[in-house]
Amino acid sequence: MRIAFLIVVLAGAIFYTYIAFADLAFLTRTGRLGPGFFPRLVGVSMVVLLIWATLDAWREGSGNAPATGSWRDVMTLMGLAIIYAVLLRLFGGIPATVVYLGLTLATINRGRHLQNVILTVTMPIIIYLLFDKLLNANMPPALFELPF
Amino acid sequence: MDIFGDLFMGLSIAVTPVNMLYLLAGAVIGMIVGTIPGFGPSAGLAILLPVTFGMDPVPAIMMLAAIYYGAMYGGTITSILLNTPGESATVASTFDGFPLAKNGRAGPALVMQAIASFVGGTVGVILITILAPMFALVSRSFGPPEYFLLAIMGLLTLIVMIGEHWKLGVISALIGLALGTVGVDLETGQGRYTFGSAELIGGIYFIPIAIGLFGLGELFYAFYKGMHKTGTGGIVQYDKEKRFWPTRHDWMSTRMTMARNSILGFVVGVIPGAGATIASLMAYSTERSISKNKDNFGKGEMAGLVAPETANNAASSGAMIPLLTLGIPGSASTAVLLAAFLMWGLRPGPLFMEQNPELAWGLIASMYLGNMALLAISIFAIPLFVQIIKVPYRVLGPTIVVICTLGTFSVHASFIETYLMFAAGIIGFFMRLYGFSPAALVLALVLGPLAEEALRQTMTISRGSFGIFFDRSASLWIIGVTFALLVLLPLLNRMGKNAGDAEKAGS
Repeated sequence: MRIAFLIVVLAGAIFYTYIAFADLAFLTRTGRLGPGFFPRLVGVSMVVLLIWATLDAWREGSGNAPATGSWRDVMTLMGLAIIYAVLLRLFGGIPATVVYLGLTLATINRGRHLQNVILTVTMPIIIYLLFDKLLNANMPPALFELPF
Repeated sequence: MDIFGDLFMGLSIAVTPVNMLYLLAGAVIGMIVGTIPGFGPSAGLAILLPVTFGMDPVPAIMMLAAIYYGAMYGGTITSILLNTPGESATVASTFDGFPLAKNGRAGPALVMQAIASFVGGTVGVILITILAPMFALVSRSFGPPEYFLLAIMGLLTLIVMIGEHWKLGVISALIGLALGTVGVDLETGQGRYTFGSAELIGGIYFIPIAIGLFGLGELFYAFYKGMHKTGTGGIVQYDKEKRFWPTRHDWMSTRMTMARNSILGFVVGVIPGAGATIASLMAYSTERSISKNKDNFGKGEMAGLVAPETANNAASSGAMIPLLTLGIPGSASTAVLLAAFLMWGLRPGPLFMEQNPELAWGLIASMYLGNMALLAISIFAIPLFVQIIKVPYRVLGPTIVVICTLGTFSVHASFIETYLMFAAGIIGFFMRLYGFSPAALVLALVLGPLAEEALRQTMTISRGSFGIFFDRSASLWIIGVTFALLVLLPLLNRMGKNAGDAEKAGS
């Protein structure tokens, strides 16, 4: 997994460096350092170090892999967070928060139904009062208005 | 004498009912954030920064600063009672803090850590009061070459402190620098890495990345480590102990420890990139090496708790010096604080204290008051924080996701930034998992544009010659200090880590 992550970052670094060389000039027309100077420096350094780190990781093999953790739980939490991001766009801040909290607590805080219901109801109310009423902050608007 | 006049002026600004209320709120929030394992001051600041948008700059900055140093106080409570540091700067406090609690001395340990934190924090603020104006005066002679070198110094020292994973630290910093190049190039007006998106013309905003990396990333990592499954059964029940207050011997034996480590912590804190974690480890190691009771370290020696506690609080004060006088953050936490300043149109730097005396001195004065408030809160509100420790991660987790998300959206009402925050959270988790440094990325993202602009200005001044860095005495000084730090810091870092490893092996 570590090697896979390094390769993904390396691919990103190569793309970044390619743009720096292909689209951004090293010098301006007046002979000053151009918009491509710094990205080229950063990009090349990044590619070199990432190749080095990937080779190191490959040589080490799985010996240096981190201890096994709760992959399923962390992936569930990430998945639920992504669902929340989608719900926010569709239904707006407060309805999406209610759905997200209900869903997440039911998944990771199993069996504690009363506690989950109380949290699902009270947290959005607190958030609404804090962000919308007290701080007058922006709340995500809904793409589709709910009937309630 | 000007210093006293300015300080009184700052006090008159800080001591208003509204400002005091925000200061206290910041101190309490900071302590709460500090007690959550994995969530240090940088996470707390990043998550709560959007909450301050509707406020005036003075109370907002005072509140954020209180969250910053309040988290240092709170982080130790879990170190002592749970053997789980709230954040990296309180790791050294577990070495003797938890053994003290296990020996039935949790009450005295909690009180002494509060006093040590207060002494470290207050000495730090006194030194800021004296030294910040001097630093500002010296830094007025700095030009683009010096600013470029200072930015590089901050990044290099941070990377050096990472130790064995230095390569991954450099890569993290380079990713931050790369993200910092997104947006319109201010000198030529050409778009860089915008891919035709109007949202990216202004560049990648720092706050969503910081909230994602420190807020969501840490949360995902905590879930990965299974912290949502562990109960709080291991918590030491301090309220069943006979004696809550420290003994006379506790006070007398740690007086000089506090004095020594206040200075040590402050000096380490001033160095960009070093910070509170290394200050606390160094303090522990130094204290053990000079103590008459060397053998008691790791078994519940009060000086072993007091030394790192004094140092990490003094270091968090010391880190304010480069921020206020140079506009250069030395750590991820002060980088978030810098973002807060910039949000209100304030640019910390050599002229900041002269041009914004109310804000600068109001902030410094508030730090005296904040430390006093935190001392009282730390001692008398311990039962409240023990209850917070008992809130399980499986309940805390979804709440943190909601606050991070709505907080990010509230900044610019931008869905793109909210999605960026989620992406940064997921990337932050993998970075933590595989030994990368989210702090280096964030610091580079803040320092990158500054470094690039300074380097290009320098090259324009020198007509493309790097010799300019060796022609100016201020530049030469910075280069010299950077080299000295690059040699010294790894040695001191190793010394501190060895002390930590020895304690772990012994316990």
